[in-house]
Amino acid sequence: MAKARALDRRRRSVKNIRKITRTMELIATARFKKAMDRSLSARDYTLRLTKILENIASIGTGTGLEHPLLEVRPTKRSAVLVLTGNRGLCGGYNSNIVRQAQAILGQWRSENVGLHTAVSGKRGISALKFRGVPMDERYTTFEDKPEFAAVAPIGRAYLAAYQAGEIDRLDVVYTKFDSIARQSAVTETLLPLKPPEAPRGGQQAAAAPSSASQEYDFYPSAESILEEILPASFLSRLFKCFLDAAVSEQVARMVAMKAASENAGSLIKDLSRRYNRARQSQITGEIMEILGGVEALKK
Amino acid sequence: MAGTTTSASSARSTIGVRCIIVTPETTVLDTRGRFVSLPLFDGQRGVGRGHAPFIGRLGVGEVRITGEQGSGAEQVRSSFIEGGFVEVGQDTVTIITQRAISAATLDAKAARANLEALRTQKATGDEAIAARLQAEEAARAMVRVAERAS
Repeated sequence: MAKARALDRRRRSVKNIRKITRTMELIATARFKKAMDRSLSARDYTLRLTKILENIASIGTGTGLEHPLLEVRPTKRSAVLVLTGNRGLCGGYNSNIVRQAQAILGQWRSENVGLHTAVSGKRGISALKFRGVPMDERYTTFEDKPEFAAVAPIGRAYLAAYQAGEIDRLDVVYTKFDSIARQSAVTETLLPLKPPEAPRGGQQAAAAPSSASQEYDFYPSAESILEEILPASFLSRLFKCFLDAAVSEQVARMVAMKAASENAGSLIKDLSRRYNRARQSQITGEIMEILGGVEALKK
Repeated sequence: MAGTTTSASSARSTIGVRCIIVTPETTVLDTRGRFVSLPLFDGQRGVGRGHAPFIGRLGVGEVRITGEQGSGAEQVRSSFIEGGFVEVGQDTVTIITQRAISAATLDAKAARANLEALRTQKATGDEAIAARLQAEEAARAMVRVAERAS
């Protein structure tokens, strides 16, 4: 009967698909580990910059910390950066980001705020294009290993635009990596920067000449260092968004391909059972035919 | 005051100054040396053991670690760094910079070619001129470091 053949063909096809999804799962696992290592190596830089910022904050200049990047302005024009992946087969990763991006863009539009939209990742670009969202910048070169040298020019352009008053706010929509079991699509405001806070108990500790707190000299001056360190801190935060997005994408693909492989496995089991049943009933039918023929010839 | 053979209480392994170079992507270097010279914004500054704590803005130039642990007392490890900050305290020098390249891996010819290319570039407008001058200064420093190392 043709039915057995058709089932066998389906079963073979599903087996091939399972080979592919298994391979993709392994590759995603390897890439995730590398991306995770890069993300961890990058943490030190941000921590040390934050430590210096806290030191400056704790000495407390009389007028309070002032810097154009800390300045909060009424939002007349907002910049939004959306980080998606170049490829699919990663579960809800890209669609969650697109949904989040549409929410924030819709919110700004309803408040009559001018928008500058930048999208990274071919999936995001095509999804937003389909939904008729105007995009000012498109980036397609960020894959699983974002480099600081590639992110820095983008960051510096935003800094220049903010200081020139061309934008009043920068929101980044990306998938934050909390842990291997938890990644969430979030919108973070990167500009204006949050003013650095002195570490708790910093004021008292600074007075005590213990080795735990240090009275630093600042060359050339605390203000000058602050002026340089805030842009550096912003760039490292932006870089972290790109790193997090890359790690989350690999985890999402790992999980999706694992689920697909398992689905394929259970489908193969089901198809095998049905194929065997069809094959056996086909054989039984043929035997019955032969027996019937023999009976007919006997009489 | 300076000197490597101080009191007996200081163990052999905690000699000199600890030098750490951190970039946005990774920690490039974490070693100990007798003396560290780094490019502060207004010139080279040397840091030895027991230096007063300070936080400084860095310029473009060479970080030299003399007498690194594990090599000869006069051996120098040189690295090129481009701007950033330095935190000195408790016998540790932490350099936080956007770019750090070991001088041994620098190609003097390529660095010089890069400098020449920048010098022939045209720039108009205050911002572009300032950017080009900055890039030139960085390229010149890189050539210096590369040629000194080779």
